[in-house]
Amino acid sequence: MGRFWSLLFLLVPVIGVGIFVVCAAEIGIEDHWLPENVNEHGRVIDDLFMFILYLTGIIFIATGIALFWFLWKYDAAKNVEPVKYVHGSHTLEVVWSIVPAATLLFIAIYQMNAWADAKMRRPTLPGSDELLPPLVEVTARQFEWRLRYAGVDQVMGTDDDVFGVNDLHIPVDEDIVIAIKSKDVLHSFFLPNLRIKQDIVPGMKQHVWFKSNKKGVYDIVCAELCGWGHYKMKGRLTISSRDDFNIWLQEQYENQEVSEFEPEGSE
Amino acid sequence: MRAIATTSAILGMVLCVGCGAPIAEFQQNHVYILKQKNELDGAFTPQQRKDLANVMEALFGTPDNPHIPQTGVDTSSLFEQNKLLMAAGPYGSYEDGRPRGLYREHCVHCHGVTGDGKGPTAQFLNPYPRDYRLGKFKFKSTPSATPPTHEDLRLILYNGIPDTAMPSFKLIPGDELEALIQYVRYLSIRGTVERELIFVMAEYGEEERLFDETIGAEQAEEVTDVVNAVLEDWIAAEGASLEIPPAPKGEKADMIAKGKALFYGDIAGCVKCHGDSALGDGQKTDYDDWAKDYFDPKKPDDRYQYIALGALEPQNIIPRNLRAGVYRGGRRPIDLYRRIANGITGTPMPKAPASLSPDDIWHLVHYVRSLPRETTSNPYQHVPANNRERH
Repeated sequence: MGRFWSLLFLLVPVIGVGIFVVCAAEIGIEDHWLPENVNEHGRVIDDLFMFILYLTGIIFIATGIALFWFLWKYDAAKNVEPVKYVHGSHTLEVVWSIVPAATLLFIAIYQMNAWADAKMRRPTLPGSDELLPPLVEVTARQFEWRLRYAGVDQVMGTDDDVFGVNDLHIPVDEDIVIAIKSKDVLHSFFLPNLRIKQDIVPGMKQHVWFKSNKKGVYDIVCAELCGWGHYKMKGRLTISSRDDFNIWLQEQYENQEVSEFEPEGSE
Repeated sequence: MRAIATTSAILGMVLCVGCGAPIAEFQQNHVYILKQKNELDGAFTPQQRKDLANVMEALFGTPDNPHIPQTGVDTSSLFEQNKLLMAAGPYGSYEDGRPRGLYREHCVHCHGVTGDGKGPTAQFLNPYPRDYRLGKFKFKSTPSATPPTHEDLRLILYNGIPDTAMPSFKLIPGDELEALIQYVRYLSIRGTVERELIFVMAEYGEEERLFDETIGAEQAEEVTDVVNAVLEDWIAAEGASLEIPPAPKGEKADMIAKGKALFYGDIAGCVKCHGDSALGDGQKTDYDDWAKDYFDPKKPDDRYQYIALGALEPQNIIPRNLRAGVYRGGRRPIDLYRRIANGITGTPMPKAPASLSPDDIWHLVHYVRSLPRETTSNPYQHVPANNRERH
C-alpha cells in the first residue's frame, strides 16, 4: 500500500512539469503560455520570470523526487526493523538556511533595476527633467474602466478632455504614462501584453508607463478580486500609429461635443 | 484501497446531485395587485390571478420561449423573433452556433428574470436596478410620458451609467447588443401590459373573468386593446425625440454667467434641489416613481406588506452632485439639454418650464458643464512617494 502512495506522489512532479512543457512548447494547444510581449521593456520582466521559474522548477523536481524516494524506500510493509531516532544534523540545517537566503538575496539585487524602471523612473519630457504628464487617466470602478484623455493640450481637467469607457487607445513607439485611480474598492490594472500590473488603491493616484512596439488589439483585465463581477471587468487596448490615434481622439471629442439634434423623419 | 473507495463514493455523490438551476419563470406582479386591492378594493380571486397568468403566457410566452404578442399591430419595428430568442432562454448557444441566453448572461442578476429589477444582487445596490415593468426609463430623448427610442436604449447599454452599478456593454458584438435592446423592450412592454390588465381587473367583481374560453371574443378584445395601446406607444416613441436647436454662439464666460443666474433664479429653480453649491444637497428626502409605486412617505409603515411580497426597501432619490463631472445619462451637450428640457422621467427632476427659451437651456448646460472645472470641485488625491515630482 505504501508503494502505491509513493507512486501517486511521484505523479505530482511528473504532471506538474509535463503541463509546463506542453504549454511552453505549444504541443497540441496554443495560447496557454505567456501572451505576446509588445512592451519594449517587457523582455526584462519575462527574463526575470523565466529565471525564477527555472530556479523554482529545479527545486520542485528535486523535492518531488526526494519525497517519492523516501516514501518508496521506507514503506512500512518492507521495513520490519524498529524505527531509529536521529537527533538531526547541525551542518545540514545551516546549509539549508544559508543557501535559500543567499538565493533570495541574489534575486533581490538582480531585479532592482527592473523594479526601478517599472515603478520609479517615470519617463521625462524630451530634453528636460520634468516628468512626462499622463496621456490618459484610468478610473477603475465596479466593474469597468472609465477613461479620461488629457486631450490636445495634454492637461487633465480642461475643456478638451475626452471621456470614454473600456476602450483604451494608445499610440505605438512612444513613452506613455497612464494615471490610474479607483472609485470604490481595490482593483488591479493589468495589461498582460505589456507586462504591466498595478494595484489600485482608492484615494491614491498611481502611475504606470511603458513603450509599446507593436500595433494591435489587446486585453485590459482586472487582476484583483474586486467583487462578484470581477470576471467581467475587462477592456480593450488598441495600439495604433500616432496619426491614427490623433484621428480617433478627435473623433471621440467631436462625438462628445454634439450640440444639436434633429430627430430622424422630422420635417 | 478503502481510501480510494471512499474518494470515488464522494465523487460519485457530487456528480449525481449535479447543479441544476431552477426553471426560470415570469413572476406575477403581486405588489401591484396588492396595491390595487388596497386602493380600488379589487377582488383578485385565485381564479382571476390564474386567468391573468394564462393571458400573459398566451400573449408573451415564457422566459425560455418568448412570443411577440399577435394582436394585429405590426411590431416589426420593435422586435424580431430571432433576436428575442438570442436574448431569451438559458445561457448557452444554439446548434448553429448562435448565442442564446444573453439576458441571463449579462442582465438577470440585477434586473431579474421578469425585468422587475429584483435580481439577487439588486438589494445591495443604490440606486436599485431599473424595474422595466413601469415602462419608465430615465435617460432618453423623448418626453416624460413617452417610452425611449431604440437609440436611447442602445446608448445606455453601450456606455453604461456611470455612478450606478450599470456597466458598459461596449465590447459585445453589435447583434448581441441589438438582441438585448429588443429583449428589454419586450420585458418592459410585457410588464406594462400586466400592470394595465391588473388595473382593469381591479374593477371586477368576484365572478368576473379576464378571459374565459366560454365567453371569448368580447373580453379578448378588452385585452388586445390594452396590449395594442402599449405597443403603439412604443412604436410612436421612435419619432418623438426632442429636437434640439444649435447652441447659441457667443462668449463662453458670458453664457456661463447667464446660466449661473438662471441656476439660482426662480424660473428654473435648480438650486432648490441641487443646492446652493450644486453639490446635490438641496433636498434629500424625496423618492422616485419606482419607490412611490408601493410606498407612501406619509404612511411609511404600510410598506411592510409590500416588502413581504418582494418589494425593495425604498431608497431616497438624491439630486445629482453637479461638481463631480459624472453624468449618468451621458455628458454630451445634447444629453444635458435633454435632461433639462424634458426632465428625468420617474424622478423629481421636472421638465423645463415653458418660460425657459432654448437659449436659456443652453446657458444652463454651459454653466453645469463648467462646474466640475472649478478648483473647489477637485479633491486632492494622494500620490505615492515613488512617482512624485522630486526637486
